[in-house]
Amino acid sequence: MPYVETMTPRERVMNALAGLPVDRTPVSNPTNVATVELMDLVDAPFPDACRDPELNARLAATGYTDLGFDSVQPYFTIIQESSALGCEMQWEQKDNWPTVRMTNPIWKGEADVKIPADFLEHRDTRSVTGAIEILKREFGDEVAIIGKSMGPWTLAYHVFGVETFLLMTIDDPAMTMRILDKLKEATVMYADAQIAAGADAVCVPDHATGDLVSGEYYKRFLQDIHTEMAERIDAPLILHICGRTLDRMPYIAQTGMAAFHFDSRNDPQEAMDAVDGGIRLVGNINNPETLYSKGPDDVRKEVYACLEAGVQMIAPECAIPLQTKLQNLLAIPEAVKDWSAERL
Amino acid sequence: MPIDHEGLAREFEYVTQPSEQESIRAQLESGDALMQEMAYALITGDHHAVDALTRQALSEGREANDILDEGLISGMAVVGVKFRDNIIFVPEVLIAARAMKAGMAHVEPILSASGVKPLGTAVFGTVKGDLHDIGKNLCIMMMRGAGFVVHDLGVDTKPDEFIEAADEHGADLVMMSALLTTTMPNMGRTIAEFEDMGLRDEYKFMTGGASVTQEFSDDMGADGYGDNAIACVEKAKELVGLARAARAG
Repeated sequence: MPYVETMTPRERVMNALAGLPVDRTPVSNPTNVATVELMDLVDAPFPDACRDPELNARLAATGYTDLGFDSVQPYFTIIQESSALGCEMQWEQKDNWPTVRMTNPIWKGEADVKIPADFLEHRDTRSVTGAIEILKREFGDEVAIIGKSMGPWTLAYHVFGVETFLLMTIDDPAMTMRILDKLKEATVMYADAQIAAGADAVCVPDHATGDLVSGEYYKRFLQDIHTEMAERIDAPLILHICGRTLDRMPYIAQTGMAAFHFDSRNDPQEAMDAVDGGIRLVGNINNPETLYSKGPDDVRKEVYACLEAGVQMIAPECAIPLQTKLQNLLAIPEAVKDWSAERL
Repeated sequence: MPIDHEGLAREFEYVTQPSEQESIRAQLESGDALMQEMAYALITGDHHAVDALTRQALSEGREANDILDEGLISGMAVVGVKFRDNIIFVPEVLIAARAMKAGMAHVEPILSASGVKPLGTAVFGTVKGDLHDIGKNLCIMMMRGAGFVVHDLGVDTKPDEFIEAADEHGADLVMMSALLTTTMPNMGRTIAEFEDMGLRDEYKFMTGGASVTQEFSDDMGADGYGDNAIACVEKAKELVGLARAARAG
């Protein structure tokens, strides 16, 4: 029996996020798949592609049109809201991601936490919502459009600085909770705006990573906030946390989020065991070594390991290195299709 | 004296590797009750207590160097082990480092004035194009806690800034950190600039960062790599002797 796909990419992604049957495992990257090669291909370089809706949409579309992934993601960085909140930015150039100058934080304490009235109209938040509108017009229901709204923990790093914020969590946990609660409103507001613009699902990066804080920290400071976001935001949410996260996966699995996008430092099978069916997993092809430095055969091995473990959506572990070779990215959907064909 | 402080004894139970048990126990037992109390206050991040205990120790006539070794560095050694073994995480390390700083504020001027030689000298920066510094800062805290003099070059450090700083401070070690996959190759480019200037053999080069691996570090041409802050300190100790031997010819 020949291998035949019976779903559109969008149906495939949405079914996977809902835990429904799929014709094959979808390929996505909830964070993004922009590379320098793709920027050159469609003449949409960084940083302009992060700030201009038309360039943004053009670059995002390549994830589907040129790589064959089942979704497109028009938010390439982690800084769009922080720019709108007033953070000092370093926009960099084509071969590097824009970054917040966290060494010059804009806020010192709880009284400073205010979301500007024009938050959703700022150039750097509009660039994403505008791009989503363009992508929706262009692709309709053919391919899944995944938006992105940064979680309160990551926003806190940007506006207070990482060290100041982490010290705050110990010195004044109650104030930390109140601050996270206020910042959460920015996350919800921006996610809602992207859904209104046409996003089918929203990725929520919130970097309470095992490299910085414990699993108990996640439970204490974020589990309830993430649960509330899953209840309030009217689209499937994909939580993304880099680094080691096995110890917090059981808590993440209880939030009601649709999926968790996980890092290659967590073994796929161990991750599946940790969430125990409570949440779908998205991941976790290694970026700096496999996608950036190795070849398609190595990519294929990691894709197969994820599929064998039962990971529900195959993806690079995070935003891919901008110099990643296209052949390595093309190897991801190829490997998924081959694996599916082998099991007919 | 044996570890009599009840809290410190509990903290010491986290040190489980035999070689570390031996060395850290010796460090802690070299101190008396006051020093053990200081070590415990540092481990638990009580900077007010460390400040007060350091002042008390100095007013009682203790040597600054003894306070550093027996009260502060010994406590930081336990913090390093707990951090490496995922018993504590960055916030807990940050409060311990703040406590260390509170003690060092009293001790450091005395040590500087008396010309006590540091374990080694390093310049340490996040490489060009990268503004992330938490990993670098943790390593610097641990290195200072172990007795190194570390000059913090900040973030977005260009190769010529590493070269100038290494020369200016007479560094043994040039240490580079990067978080982003886009900026990690700048560690290799920095080493290449030292090579171009004929300075490659003057220093030992170390790399680190969340996504950096030993393999990547080797590809960059570095001499050493630290997977975590405590491994960074251990590798730095190893390399500093080699750097000095190389310079001595």
